[in-house]
Amino acid sequence: MSNGNVKEKVKKVISEVLKVNSEEISDEANFIFDLGADSAQSLELIAGFEEEFDIEMDEDKALEIQSVSDAVTFISTYL
Amino acid sequence: MSPKIHLRDHMDKIFYPQSVAIVGANKVPGTVPHDIIHNILKADFQGIVYPVSPREKFIAGAKCYKYIVDIEDPIDLAIIVFPSSVADMALEQCGKKGVKSIIIISAGFREVGGKGIEKEKKILEIAEKYDMNFIGPNCLGVINTDPKSLLNASFARKMPEEGSIGFLSQSGALCTAVLDYAQAKHIGFSKFISFGNKADINEIDLLRYLKDDPKTKVILMYLEEISQGRELMDTAREIINDTGKPILAIKSGRTDEGASAAASHTGSLAGSDQVTDAALKQAGIIRCQNIEEMFNKAIAMAYQPMPKSNNIAIITNAGGPGVLTTDAAIHEGLELAKFSDQTTAVFKKHLPKTANIKNPVDVIGDARADRYKVALSQALKDVNVDGAFVILTPQSMTDIDTIATEIVNVAEQYDKPLYASFMGAADVASGIDILQKNKIPHYTLPESMCKAFATAYNFETHKLNEIDRSELYDDVDIEAAQKILDKAIKNGRKILPENEADKVLETYRIPVPERKMVNSAEDAAKVALKIGFPVVLKVMSEDITHKFDIKGVLIDIRTEKEAKDAYESIMHNVTKAKPKAKIDGVLVEKMIPKGHEVILGVKRDPAFGPFIMYGMGGIFVEIFKDVSFRVAPVDKNVAAEMIDETKSSKMLHGARGIVPADLDALQNTLIRLGQLAIDCPQIKELDINPLIVLEKGKGCFVADANIML
Repeated sequence: MSNGNVKEKVKKVISEVLKVNSEEISDEANFIFDLGADSAQSLELIAGFEEEFDIEMDEDKALEIQSVSDAVTFISTYL
Repeated sequence: MSPKIHLRDHMDKIFYPQSVAIVGANKVPGTVPHDIIHNILKADFQGIVYPVSPREKFIAGAKCYKYIVDIEDPIDLAIIVFPSSVADMALEQCGKKGVKSIIIISAGFREVGGKGIEKEKKILEIAEKYDMNFIGPNCLGVINTDPKSLLNASFARKMPEEGSIGFLSQSGALCTAVLDYAQAKHIGFSKFISFGNKADINEIDLLRYLKDDPKTKVILMYLEEISQGRELMDTAREIINDTGKPILAIKSGRTDEGASAAASHTGSLAGSDQVTDAALKQAGIIRCQNIEEMFNKAIAMAYQPMPKSNNIAIITNAGGPGVLTTDAAIHEGLELAKFSDQTTAVFKKHLPKTANIKNPVDVIGDARADRYKVALSQALKDVNVDGAFVILTPQSMTDIDTIATEIVNVAEQYDKPLYASFMGAADVASGIDILQKNKIPHYTLPESMCKAFATAYNFETHKLNEIDRSELYDDVDIEAAQKILDKAIKNGRKILPENEADKVLETYRIPVPERKMVNSAEDAAKVALKIGFPVVLKVMSEDITHKFDIKGVLIDIRTEKEAKDAYESIMHNVTKAKPKAKIDGVLVEKMIPKGHEVILGVKRDPAFGPFIMYGMGGIFVEIFKDVSFRVAPVDKNVAAEMIDETKSSKMLHGARGIVPADLDALQNTLIRLGQLAIDCPQIKELDINPLIVLEKGKGCFVADANIML
């Protein structure tokens, strides 16, 4: 899967979980600081990524993901 | 730590902001960001509130901004409630916005260790970059009850009443408990500050701020760790001396697992709590054991005039409680005032014949408000009385609320402290409420009332002196002491036994007896003869600390033969008990005449630095633990205090026909030892045990000593 595809899917998950338009999500947007994710939503995002990409991520490391680009880089290691 | 050049201005804006931004606000009830914004709005804050939230458009009717930099108006105070993972980003934006005063509520920093330490370092760097100062992180927030501000920038459940007590706490959770306790007793606060990890603004900065805060009359502190002990002491002394504001503190962690099972007696007797205790006392800070004791004492000093003397009047409607109060008062060092003739005449005229018109005044069980009023007014009018305690027990005819109201009225007319104890619970509750609402200190137990009065009296009358540096000796040879210690450290030495410790002590002119080290029985006899009998022989070995326990010391040697035998005997005993010990030799020492055996010690505390110990000496020192501590250096007054603080001091003063000891020499030795402790950081611990104090005019001598490097 290309990086571009991964990014698109990541934004789709973020958009669904945080209920924001995917166009408003920049690559460097921080889930908490820019998009307003709370702690429960941070967990929902991890679950969303796992489901979307059919992978199982290390939860502690996954919780350190703070932005779209972080997520793309991290998820790519599982693909 | 960020620079503190503009700290005062920045702190002013923390307590008196015109505009506040809550960075990371949300509208999820039950969350910290939600509750903080609602607390600010609920408290009638006198400035403008700007919620900053990436997602919300409005919170509690106020327009939200996505970023703090989007706010056009200047912001005086930003309260960061974002999680620690993005607190740095929020702080960076505050810097860009030009906000200088910050409260970081978020947890997840130094207190969690690991990456949290890095996060705390990062926010400090950002604060430094933008010349910002912040309270927190990991705190409950700040409350200012001043009507000019009315700021509840915290997630406490309630805004306290306005009052004159400033409260500082390292623990946020304790703050909420204190607020709840205080509310029930109508205790008001001027400023209420939870400072959490104190990464930037710490308790010393806050103390200095409260020093100049006209709304604060009494300062209370809850501390979990003290990092800059000496500065804390200096600041406290400055506040007390310059403003007369009392400072009361609870320092948790009294049990001391860290009290080392060290080689020295001082090491094992001086846990950090004992040192903290001594240091706080030296600084004039009133240390309390718990919240109740702290508030019992604080309300006395915050609500009522300070006592001018310890002469009190007790007015009671019950004999038993009157006697109990009298006992407690005497126990606390108070005195029952002797009433003037005029007072006695008024009591005779207005009180029933069965009443006791002497102090404690018993107005009798059927007393109603009029009788209390007469007794109390006249007692406070009496020039021999400088304070009054009112005791009430609820009889069927006792008009409790009216009596409470009369007490309030009378208290307003006199500039003398008046405390009350309405004994009981249910029936007296409404009366107590009247007293508490009107700032009459109320105590369930007369004992607490007497303790509170005694604390206020002692605070008012105890002069807090700086150390008199002119009493320090200039005939000490710092260089010589340093040379011995440095050489020992260079050679990898950890302990200096008596013969070497004595050399260090001699450089500070601490008196040691004439002595010489020998390595044979023949030399022992020769040296003993030269020094003059009687002598003492002691084994010298870095591997043996408690020489007596293995019969490595023999005393009262009176002939050359005895000296030879003693040498052989010591070598035999020591080789048997400690076969692997490296023996440097045997010290032949002039035997000091019989005197009082005391112990002197030195140790270093991580917060307060070098301190000295004094106490009853000898082999039972760790059993009796009759010791006192002071942060070094000490002067003559402090040395005298140290001695008098121990129970055994009475013996030195000459109790029961004992010849008084040379206290002058002992005090001088304590002063010199304090100087040595300050001048020679190489000394980790030092024991002089015993120091023999001879009778007045004959001095004192070190009988044994060792130094841990």
